[in-house]
Amino acid sequence: MAQQPERRLRAEARPARGALLATIALGLLAGVVVIAEAVLLARIVDRAAFHGAGLHRLTPELALLGVLFLLRAGLSWAAEMTGFHASAAVRSALRRGLVSHLLRSGPIHAASEQSGDLAGTVMESVEVLDPYIARYLPQLALVALVPLAIFAAVFRLDWISGTVLLVSGPLIPFFMVLVGSQAEAVNRRQWRELLRMGAHFLDAVQGLTTLKLFGRARAEIALVGQIADAYRRTTMESLRIAFLTSAVLEFFSSLSIALVAVLFGTRLLHGRIDFYPAFLVLLLVPEFFLPLRNLAAHYHARLSALAAAGRIFEVLDATPPRRTGVLTAPEAPIALSCRGLSVAYAPGRPVLCGIDCDIPAGRMTALVGPSGAGKSTLAAALLGFVLPAQGRVMVNGTTPLDRIAPEEWWRRLAYVPQAPRLFSGTIASNLRLARPDADLPALRRAAAEAGALSFIEALPRGFDTELGEGGAGLSGGQVQRLALARAFLKDAPLLILDEATANLDLETEAELVAAIARLVAGRTAVVIAHRLATIEAAGQILVLEQGRVAEAGTHRALTAAGGVYAGMLGAAQGVALRAVALRGLACVS
Amino acid sequence: MRELIRLLRLYRPYGLWMAGGVALGLATMLANFGLLALAGWFLASAAAVGLAGYAAQNAFNFFTPAAGVRFFATVRVLARYASRLVDHEATFREVAALRVFLFARLVPLAPLGLADRSGDLLGRLVADVERLSDFYPRVLLPMLVAAIASLVMALAFGAIAPAAGLALYLLLLLAGVAVPLVGLGAAAKPGRKIVALEAGLRADVVDTMQGMADLLTYGAAPAMAARIEGADAALIAGQRRMRSIAAIGAAASTLLANVAMAAMLLIGIPLLRAGLVSGPELSLFVLGALGAFEAVAPLSQALPLLAPIRESARRVFEIADRPAPVRDPAASPPRPGRLDLELRGIRLCYNAADKSERIWALNGLDLSIPQGTRMMLLGRSGAGKTSIANLLLRFAEYQEGSALLGGIELHDIRGDDVRSLFTVVSERTFLFHGTIRDNLLLARPGATDPMLWQALETAQLAAFVRAAPAGLDTPVGEAGARISGGEARRVALARAVLRDTPWLILDEPTEGLDPVTAAALRGALEAVTAGRTVLWITHRLEAISEADWVAVLEAGRVVESGVVGALRNSGSYLPRLLQLQQGLAHL
Repeated sequence: MAQQPERRLRAEARPARGALLATIALGLLAGVVVIAEAVLLARIVDRAAFHGAGLHRLTPELALLGVLFLLRAGLSWAAEMTGFHASAAVRSALRRGLVSHLLRSGPIHAASEQSGDLAGTVMESVEVLDPYIARYLPQLALVALVPLAIFAAVFRLDWISGTVLLVSGPLIPFFMVLVGSQAEAVNRRQWRELLRMGAHFLDAVQGLTTLKLFGRARAEIALVGQIADAYRRTTMESLRIAFLTSAVLEFFSSLSIALVAVLFGTRLLHGRIDFYPAFLVLLLVPEFFLPLRNLAAHYHARLSALAAAGRIFEVLDATPPRRTGVLTAPEAPIALSCRGLSVAYAPGRPVLCGIDCDIPAGRMTALVGPSGAGKSTLAAALLGFVLPAQGRVMVNGTTPLDRIAPEEWWRRLAYVPQAPRLFSGTIASNLRLARPDADLPALRRAAAEAGALSFIEALPRGFDTELGEGGAGLSGGQVQRLALARAFLKDAPLLILDEATANLDLETEAELVAAIARLVAGRTAVVIAHRLATIEAAGQILVLEQGRVAEAGTHRALTAAGGVYAGMLGAAQGVALRAVALRGLACVS
Repeated sequence: MRELIRLLRLYRPYGLWMAGGVALGLATMLANFGLLALAGWFLASAAAVGLAGYAAQNAFNFFTPAAGVRFFATVRVLARYASRLVDHEATFREVAALRVFLFARLVPLAPLGLADRSGDLLGRLVADVERLSDFYPRVLLPMLVAAIASLVMALAFGAIAPAAGLALYLLLLLAGVAVPLVGLGAAAKPGRKIVALEAGLRADVVDTMQGMADLLTYGAAPAMAARIEGADAALIAGQRRMRSIAAIGAAASTLLANVAMAAMLLIGIPLLRAGLVSGPELSLFVLGALGAFEAVAPLSQALPLLAPIRESARRVFEIADRPAPVRDPAASPPRPGRLDLELRGIRLCYNAADKSERIWALNGLDLSIPQGTRMMLLGRSGAGKTSIANLLLRFAEYQEGSALLGGIELHDIRGDDVRSLFTVVSERTFLFHGTIRDNLLLARPGATDPMLWQALETAQLAAFVRAAPAGLDTPVGEAGARISGGEARRVALARAVLRDTPWLILDEPTEGLDPVTAAALRGALEAVTAGRTVLWITHRLEAISEADWVAVLEAGRVVESGVVGALRNSGSYLPRLLQLQQGLAHL
């Protein structure tokens, strides 16, 4: 299990191999410089302390020592930068891969994930990989190479100290693996917790008003504390073990230094060995353990990185079946037909079951039906956001929709969802989504058609007004009108529109209905319609019920048929009649 | 600096943990220094004694220094392990405290004081708090440990040779203070930039997740992907600068540790020849200096963190310090028997602080709603309907006029107590990521399953929930994304049934529903509203016959009001709306 993300992560790091190898080479070179430094230092101390050498006799050694110091500083900087270079390349590639994968998976898939979670994966999970790639991976190679070089130097100087290193050295990785494997499982849990906390916070912050309304906000404060507390406890659990790995390392390195010092002490005392090799070995022993210590410092980074990588690969692996369409979409006019179309989001729970319908070119088809009947899903299928479980959608009777390249298909259509998204940027840049090269007169024309021009021009900065996230600062009606203006600007032969009715006053609705009528004119349009005025204007009405087409026909025909549609109409007219009755009263009196 | 002091004040309850961390860190550093210095002295002494011959060998106390070496080695291991545990414990406690503090500050601000991009707000809560968690363990702690340890180590050297102690101290200062300060100056600007770049990148990512349908169908997905790629590249470039600054600092720190060893030689050798220090002491200086620099090594990494941490602290406190839109009194008067509402000459504006440019959302509003009335509030968007709800719910403060609920001025009652009298059913009602049961229990935490089913029955959602495989435990998805709008509305209605308050505010309760559903929901609404005082906010007229009083709002004041029947005679607004309504009936 744990092996899996690590192997994949290293595979992801392969393109950055050059930079990683450079980092390793620089580290190795620094190790050699360290040995040379120690030799010089030991010689200087030995000659000064025991051979009466003064500064002037030691000048060449001291000068050379200075050069080595500078070289070592330069090498350490260069190794950091090459390591960062490798990490940056891998992180950028993964982030790009995640975004493009999510875009390929489509909006239905993105909506089924918690967007806090996904944003967290694209942001934090990718960032967490940095120390793993920049430092841990190069260190992994150095930990084998540098101690070996130092061991060779020490062994040549003094075989007893060499033996101490030979025994304690290999014990360290052994203990680290033993302790580390336990830490791994704990760490996975901890990373989940962190992501969950991000999602919980987003939820709590977005729902703060609701919490206040229910008098639950104070309780939520406590809950935030509790979740942070639970996070602390699981994290400390994993850290206690993670720190144990470095404690083991410290123990062995301290023990070895002490042992080497004491063993030398006895022999020096009896004059069986010179000061020079003893001092040199004492200088080198800490360096023997340094790469291992550095590795241990990154060990926790490795665990976090692997947990994050697991989450990243989970997102990358959750691949919905992909269309492989390559055909270009047919030119206007576009007609659509569904044959035995079934869609299910989860196995065994079909949302659409065997839809058969024809959507004629150049006219408006209204989708009506109770909520949950499958209107949005049918629109999603026509948009190519979901793939049919069975049956297919045909374009102009001859080309199956799933054979058309999705980008090609989207180029031919304009989609106005019920809750269109406006992006951070200006009003102009939001409109230009539809046509990047549109000039200001074109923007004004589209805005005028959508009934948006007057409010845009009333804003102090007009088309250059900056919008907040999701169009913050605009009313629902204004967002709708901007979305319609976008669709006007795109001027596509096929229009798929989900008529929004929420939060609009009657005057605004009347203006929107008129704008939609202008937009629909002359195009193939599929409108999830809620207003009687829109529906009456449709060339065809498809009445959906429980994922099937219950009725299809014109307003007149369906009214006469006395079926589901007539029933809906009756309910709506009951309301309208009451309103009319009131108005009648007003007229009478 | 002010932000950091404030941060520390917030952490005061954990002062003991922090002090413990510093003490243990200090023990680790000094043990490390002691181990190397003593080992150096011990070896050279033993060598000198070995050369001096048999008599000296017998006189030399071998065991005390050998035991000292083992003692320092043991202390170093134990103290380091303990200090890391204590540091982290302290850090996590502080982070929890910070989160709770921040969330508690957000509560009085919501909803009107938090007009932020929500993705960015999350960024602040999680990323900034995460960054602030570095302050104690990676900045404050190493600084304190380094300051004390440097002094102790320099004094130890100084006891043997003042010049060596002074040189060590100066070089430690250079490595610990001067180098990081230069780095800090260099990192200040890129640090601020990185925080902004991260926030921008996150906002783009959230935009992409939530606006994917628009991006795809407008062929803007590649442009957005390119924009994210560009933001990522800018972030990486910023990080590279930061990394380079940090790496230069670390390299300079290593260099200075080496220079210190060389300095010990340059100072020690002439002293040795002058007979002022011994050979073993020279060896002690060289190895001790090597150990001493471990105390200041973390500083070159620590101080550059200060700039982004200060930036995060500034942003977090900026939100925390926003004035609450409404001030709560210390206590509420006892709840009156009748809850009639009497609004007289109310003026309300949302930017009350800006006296020069006040825009009145409510401008001389008069309205009375006796207990038990069903009042329908009509008007275009922006006429002030929602402002009345904000006023009643104590989300916004009124500047002029009087608002009496049961004879008590609203601003004399605590917000939570006012809100306990009201339930709001609106199409914006938020569903939390969780199950249907979780979302219902919000309204009445102790409710039993039969009570929940009863409420679902009244709200006409029981059949739907029963049909779902997981029943009450069906997840609703993020912000209710997995269930339809109509179902979400019914969950809200069921919450109102469970909550059972004397007042109900219906803010477009049937908005966006198909007519069959809406008509059915109105039936359910009738059952829920029975016996309660109702304020029904709408800009549509479908339910007008269910109200017994109507008020029409325009530009923040009531322009028409009266019994429905009477208004049809005198009104100008209502008859016009009735005419419009016909073509716009929702189906």
